Amino acid sequence: MASEKEGGTTTVPARPGDEAQDRSFHSVGKPIRRVDARGKVTGETRFADDLSLPGMLHMKLKRSTVPHARILAVDATRALALPGVRAVLTGKEFPVPYGILPVSQDENALCTDKVRFVGDPVAAVVAVDELTAEEGARLVEVKYEPLTTIGSPEEALRNPEPQIHAYGKGNIHRSVAFDFGDVPGAIAGAAHVFEDSFFYQGNTHLPLEQHATLAYLDQNGLLTISSSTQVPHYLHRAASKVLGLPPARVRIIAPPQGGGFGGKTDPFNHEIVAGKAALLTGRPVKIALTREEVFFCHRGRHPVQMRMKTGVDAEGRILGHSVETLLDGGAYGSYGMASMHYTGALETVTYRMDRYRFRGCRTFTNKPPCGPKRGHGTPQPRFGLEVQIDKICEKLGIDPAEWRIRNAVPPDSVTANWMKVGTIGLVACLEAVVKASGWKERRGKLGRGRGLGIAASSYMCGAGHPIYFNDMPHSGVQLLLDRGGGVTAYCGSTEVGQGSDNVLALLIAEVLGVEPADVKLVTGDTSLTPIDLGSYSSRVTLMMGNAAIDAAERARDRLAIAAAQKLGIPPERVGFGGGRVFDVSDPGTGMTFAEAVVRAESAGGTVGVVGSYRPPPPPARYKGGGVGPSPAYSYSAAVVEVEADETTGIVRPVKIWVAHDIGRSLNPVAVRGQVVGSVYMGLGEALMEEQAFKRLPPKLSSALVHVGPSMLDYKSPLTLDMPEVECFLVEDPEPSGPFGAKEVGQGPLLPIPPALANAVHDALGVRVDEVPVTPEKVMAALRSPSRRCGPEGFPVVPWPEALDVPPPWEGGDGNARNEPPRPPKKKEGVRP
Amino acid sequence: MQDFSFHKPQNLAAAVDTLKKRPEAKALGGGQSLIPVMKLGLAAPSDLVSVAGLAELRGIKVDGKELVVGAGMTHAEVADSAEVKKAIPALAALAGHIGDAQVRNRGTLGGSLAHDDPAADYPAAVLALGATVVTDRRKIAADDFFRGLYQTALGADEIVTSVRFPIPEKAAYAKFAHPASKFALVGVMVAKGPAGVRVAVTGAGPGVFRQADMERALGGRWAADALAGVAVKAEGLNADPYGSAEYRAHLIGVMARRAVAAAG
Repeated sequence: MASEKEGGTTTVPARPGDEAQDRSFHSVGKPIRRVDARGKVTGETRFADDLSLPGMLHMKLKRSTVPHARILAVDATRALALPGVRAVLTGKEFPVPYGILPVSQDENALCTDKVRFVGDPVAAVVAVDELTAEEGARLVEVKYEPLTTIGSPEEALRNPEPQIHAYGKGNIHRSVAFDFGDVPGAIAGAAHVFEDSFFYQGNTHLPLEQHATLAYLDQNGLLTISSSTQVPHYLHRAASKVLGLPPARVRIIAPPQGGGFGGKTDPFNHEIVAGKAALLTGRPVKIALTREEVFFCHRGRHPVQMRMKTGVDAEGRILGHSVETLLDGGAYGSYGMASMHYTGALETVTYRMDRYRFRGCRTFTNKPPCGPKRGHGTPQPRFGLEVQIDKICEKLGIDPAEWRIRNAVPPDSVTANWMKVGTIGLVACLEAVVKASGWKERRGKLGRGRGLGIAASSYMCGAGHPIYFNDMPHSGVQLLLDRGGGVTAYCGSTEVGQGSDNVLALLIAEVLGVEPADVKLVTGDTSLTPIDLGSYSSRVTLMMGNAAIDAAERARDRLAIAAAQKLGIPPERVGFGGGRVFDVSDPGTGMTFAEAVVRAESAGGTVGVVGSYRPPPPPARYKGGGVGPSPAYSYSAAVVEVEADETTGIVRPVKIWVAHDIGRSLNPVAVRGQVVGSVYMGLGEALMEEQAFKRLPPKLSSALVHVGPSMLDYKSPLTLDMPEVECFLVEDPEPSGPFGAKEVGQGPLLPIPPALANAVHDALGVRVDEVPVTPEKVMAALRSPSRRCGPEGFPVVPWPEALDVPPPWEGGDGNARNEPPRPPKKKEGVRP
Repeated sequence: MQDFSFHKPQNLAAAVDTLKKRPEAKALGGGQSLIPVMKLGLAAPSDLVSVAGLAELRGIKVDGKELVVGAGMTHAEVADSAEVKKAIPALAALAGHIGDAQVRNRGTLGGSLAHDDPAADYPAAVLALGATVVTDRRKIAADDFFRGLYQTALGADEIVTSVRFPIPEKAAYAKFAHPASKFALVGVMVAKGPAGVRVAVTGAGPGVFRQADMERALGGRWAADALAGVAVKAEGLNADPYGSAEYRAHLIGVMARRAVAAAG
């Protein structure tokens, strides 16, 4: 039965000059109820699918039934004849391509000449109600000329033709190669060399809220699109571009969402088509996707094949580490270029390695496109690395927890691939889970069928660069203080359930000495709020948080000057707290917060301020080094205890101890919630979830289809499958974080799959070098003479010439030695 | 889901009458099989005739050497029934592990049998115990009732009213549940009783089936290790992303041994 146990909080002693550590707080660090909690638990929160307008029309998409084909004709005659149908849209309406990354503008809102996977939208039918729209979509007739289906990365490599997209090399979307020092040389001189192949299956986000969009023209003719999107800013760009409207004539609103996990981080075809339909009909147009369609939107975890080769000295210290990854990208670019870089970029930030070599290749296939899911591109190589370390320790007779503690990257390092890390709570995380789980006494001693496994990990607190390179802030917060003492905060940040609204209100309240509930929020609206780039890459707490503090401090300064004048003291002596503004050396003397606002407004006009945040420039300067840098990195460690049945192969997690380096918890209850949620999602990936495909029999078109695009067929753990989770928070305030806070939304997922696989080895002595660890694979490993189940090798990939980037300790400066001269920096350049 | 008319007849005769008059009508038990199928667009009956609450389909009693369970009894009612626990504890245990609590509170014995999902639990019990399915018009032996994937001997307007289970000397059910749906990836019911030794397998093939080799082995000696030499062929078994045919064949052996051991 699922339960959550509150482990301790470890506070790392302050370093000299660490002021944030000494500060006392009103709201930060307290288990206060979330500002959005009431609406969520009473059902009053209005999600996108709750929105409705008078005269609203409904839209359904006609989706491709074949995986790869040219569109010969789309006949809407019968659909248009159906009573109640108001419009049918096709690809002709959408000649302008779009995509989340500037380098992958490869989607059309409706397919123009080709379909690329079963589920690709070909036409949209707008009707007076949803059932009529659905029937209309059924009546749209599409003639296809089938093309060869590319079903896997191997098929993509073997068949450059037919090309799924007109860019890339054959069906290779992009491949990259980096040498951070001479890894073959390091391996040649190593005492022990380990080579392993791993596979991490694709899986999907499965947010409980399915995507929904309502598009309408407001009374001034402004096209407004309310949509379940994690990225209103990027949807704004894409919709304006495709619809041919100046951005100022398009407004995107992101209502609160029932989960995103990266699945709502692309601009989506249905959002843009709904906008077009509203423009064409002059009526509000709504589309609510079915669960099946959410599986087609996908953008989930890439299936990744990996080869890892590591050379260590006699003590197990890593001299050289090589990672090769092959990604099954699906039918479109999406974030795929970034995903591919992420399968290598964070390999270096946990354990010391002298030299590092990375090769990555992403292929197009005729499946729903893969993209970013919680952990974006890093859980796959993290699985490989953490399992390989377990094997290294087994061979060398080293305790794998001890190895990790001994080899942890020290704080304030620059790694072999030029990632600059600040605070590192990795050792404290490891020590917490080792102690609580009884690791030293219990590992290897639980008897056959029961075992413990350990793994650790790291994740970014926001990307160091925006998707479109520019010099502007990544997040902006505007504050308006009213004469009644109210504070209204405006920010483009998007509440997807992760708690961003709460962080925003909390930080402003903390600085101004008011209660979080007194801060009114306007978020996720491109017409009303300053830009926040979106809820992705665990960037919101750090970036929005710093912008919020910046804005609140500016407001505080204005109030302090006005209050100081009245109190006859210098502004530095003015304090804020409990809804009052007072003399810190005589706290009884002061005024209400509202009076301070009135004084400031009388003295200097309306009290409206802005704050913003832009991360510092990272040291990585080589091409491709734009993916991976972050102002800060969180760390996690987990011990998983399993029962594994050698007669059926089923693995049941019994208990999980997880520790997360949060820097500082702004709200410990919310932080623990994210940690446990990450553990849950990690367990689903580790044990059962698969975005898998099959070919239909020839009599049914041989199409490559999803095996089960429904919650009945897609396996995900239920509450009864959740073991007890004991959660520890490690607090070591990060100077670049708001009051020292780091991310928690993604990092704690990462150690779960490898810790589980390592636990299976402790229980049964077999290795499953694949995710998910299914009962059938455990049985296969038990039967295999090698006591292993996993890929038998790695495909031959035509790697490009490697960029030669010396690590910092080999005389590098962050540039590649052999890089061709880079074009001068454009105002909005192209990355990576 | 397509629109449909909903009927709630007062008695069994009226229900049968409605089904006879409307050829596209379907009888509805607890709605745990038919409603999901309708939501997926795989069935679109013109009418639904609710039968679960009919008095003729209610009740559990022991009648001589048989346990009689009304077709309208929910899985939860069967699982909790003192009569069932006493007469055939294996049947109560099976019912108590169908789906989840919500499914068990709605789903009915008759609905499960009429739907005949290849991974449903009840068909294994009916077949292994050599039960008799009683309808509004006749009695059908278990061996004649199940006809493969979603197919039964029932006529389109025929309603299951009860099932008569001969009380066995020994019986037990062991299943390996699908992690999401809790349907049986493989479920094996073993029984030794008036109908002899019977082994029924669900989840593994296109429909529930008896395992003759295992029945012979257990007929010779009722012990888990008597099954050691019985090879289960993968041929004809289901293969899907949740398990290959070979893995299901392996599980049939494991589950059968566990069931025999549990039956004692």
